[in-house]
Amino acid sequence: MEILKVDNLSCGYEDNIVVDDVSFSVKAGDFLGIIGPNGAGKTTLFRAISRILKPRQGNIFYKGRDVGCISTRDFAQEVAVIPQILEVPFAFSVEEFVLMGRFPHVDRFEALKKADYAILENVLDFTDSAPLRKRKINELSGGERQRVILAQGFAQKPHLLLLDEPTAHLDIAHQAHILDLLKRLNKETNLTVIIVLHDLNLASSYCDRLILLGGGRIFKEGAPQDVLTYQNIEEVYKTVVVVRENPISRKPYVILVSEEERKIKEKKCKKGQD
Amino acid sequence: MDNKKCIGIFSLLILMLLASFALASLAGGSELKAQDAAYYLFHPNSSGIERDIIWKIRLPRVILGMLVGAGLASCGAVFQGLLRNPLAEPYTLGVSGGAALGVSLGVMFGIGGIYIPVFAFCGSALSILLVYSIACRKRFSNPTLILGGVILSFLFSSLVFFIFSVSRAEDVHGIILWLMGDLSSTSAPLIKIISFFILPAIVLLFFFSRDINILTLGDEKAFHLGVNSRQVKKIIFIIASFITGACVAASGIIGFVGLIVPHFMRKIVGVNHRLLLPASVLAGAVFLVLCDAAARVIIRPLELPVGVITGILGGVFFLSFLLKAKHWDIF
Repeated sequence: MEILKVDNLSCGYEDNIVVDDVSFSVKAGDFLGIIGPNGAGKTTLFRAISRILKPRQGNIFYKGRDVGCISTRDFAQEVAVIPQILEVPFAFSVEEFVLMGRFPHVDRFEALKKADYAILENVLDFTDSAPLRKRKINELSGGERQRVILAQGFAQKPHLLLLDEPTAHLDIAHQAHILDLLKRLNKETNLTVIIVLHDLNLASSYCDRLILLGGGRIFKEGAPQDVLTYQNIEEVYKTVVVVRENPISRKPYVILVSEEERKIKEKKCKKGQD
Repeated sequence: MDNKKCIGIFSLLILMLLASFALASLAGGSELKAQDAAYYLFHPNSSGIERDIIWKIRLPRVILGMLVGAGLASCGAVFQGLLRNPLAEPYTLGVSGGAALGVSLGVMFGIGGIYIPVFAFCGSALSILLVYSIACRKRFSNPTLILGGVILSFLFSSLVFFIFSVSRAEDVHGIILWLMGDLSSTSAPLIKIISFFILPAIVLLFFFSRDINILTLGDEKAFHLGVNSRQVKKIIFIIASFITGACVAASGIIGFVGLIVPHFMRKIVGVNHRLLLPASVLAGAVFLVLCDAAARVIIRPLELPVGVITGILGGVFFLSFLLKAKHWDIF
């Protein structure tokens, strides 16, 4: 079943078109990664899908309905959005913060029900955040904080989860932990995930399908091995890379080549030719 | 916060409210002894001047103090949360200037007396709404709002001084007295009208406390969690402006209650507005009633304006708290 369809979408800020005529569709249960260099339009596309930015042209459909016509509350019942940066100036406890994820499911004049608290326990356990429950959100470490933010998103019980670089600023263990959680939820509950990632190797290891953006357009779309070729990457990112196969997963692995090493290599090649 | 602690804190607050009610109705500027005051308090059907002092002067004053304290404190809590700014309160949003301008205009055109509260209400409520609409044009960034409030205050006070300079001295004196804020000019119908405004509005605000919690995460995240940020902010703003307007109309300008009470209560009950809001309502009521009692007895038989007491007490208390705290997270 098609859960999201982006149709000839163009959008941007004021006179500046950042995303230009982009179309793609996402099936329920997909794990889709959006990659591309800085300024390629990843975050702009993300903001359009998450309805912060209105399309200049084209449409976005969620389960066949134009997202512009869905009420804020109805949308939040089915789609959870984890933004790149979330400032929490007030010292909410982890429990209070995660329970905010139940907001779209609770009526204004209603108290939270047993079922909501059951979901709280469930997502705290799932994200290994249960021991943090009484702590204040602004006292957590970066990795703990990100898990709690994710737990809030899970508490919405979404069908579609949108994430904008959830692993930025985390060490590799926390990066793997966050993405493992997403992968597990994706496999176990058929949750559809659309994730913007900077790290090409994380994208390759975790996503079933990738969209490579360049200059506001889709440069290449497909399985990681089709998208992450050195030709594609060098053309879009304008930098030299080597792509190898990850010996365990058989997925592509992108290796950066520094300018110094490149020059040494080039000299050696010349000598060899001489 | 666990339930036991929560019940404990709220019981204590309610006890304090009752205690301050008793204390404030027994203490006063007149020579009336406390035992006699208590006697008349429990015998409303007796007659005499003492009975009237208690039932027609002190009780209305205590009740008004509670209403205004509760109203200002709840508005402060709401504005601070909504704008994610620790300085937000009715007065930093331009209310005092607006109210002063409204009253001065009224007095200048010779429509004073019983219409003063109406002018004060319009002036203060309109100035908050004006600040709000200025900020809306700038896509409602929160620093803009405070900046707008401060600038508007300056503009209004300049206009007030302009009016002063072309008015008669008696009129100016009247306006200044009113501006200092006091709870003594209370009449039973006024209290009825004010409570008719304030109480339902506070209850209504309470039903938005979950929205306010979520709005503290910023407009975008709130939108992703299903809060229609723009619309909800507008509704909350209008309700809070109403409460503020009613408070100012009843008692003039009483600063500080809206600023410090929510900050104190945040340290005690936490930042969840479902608890913070009712706690601020109770604490605001207690604080203002006690300040007013102090205002009546400190230089007996004369009276200080309660705004002076809240300013001094609140300021000293708050500063010492600020300096003592090991590390001070604003929220």
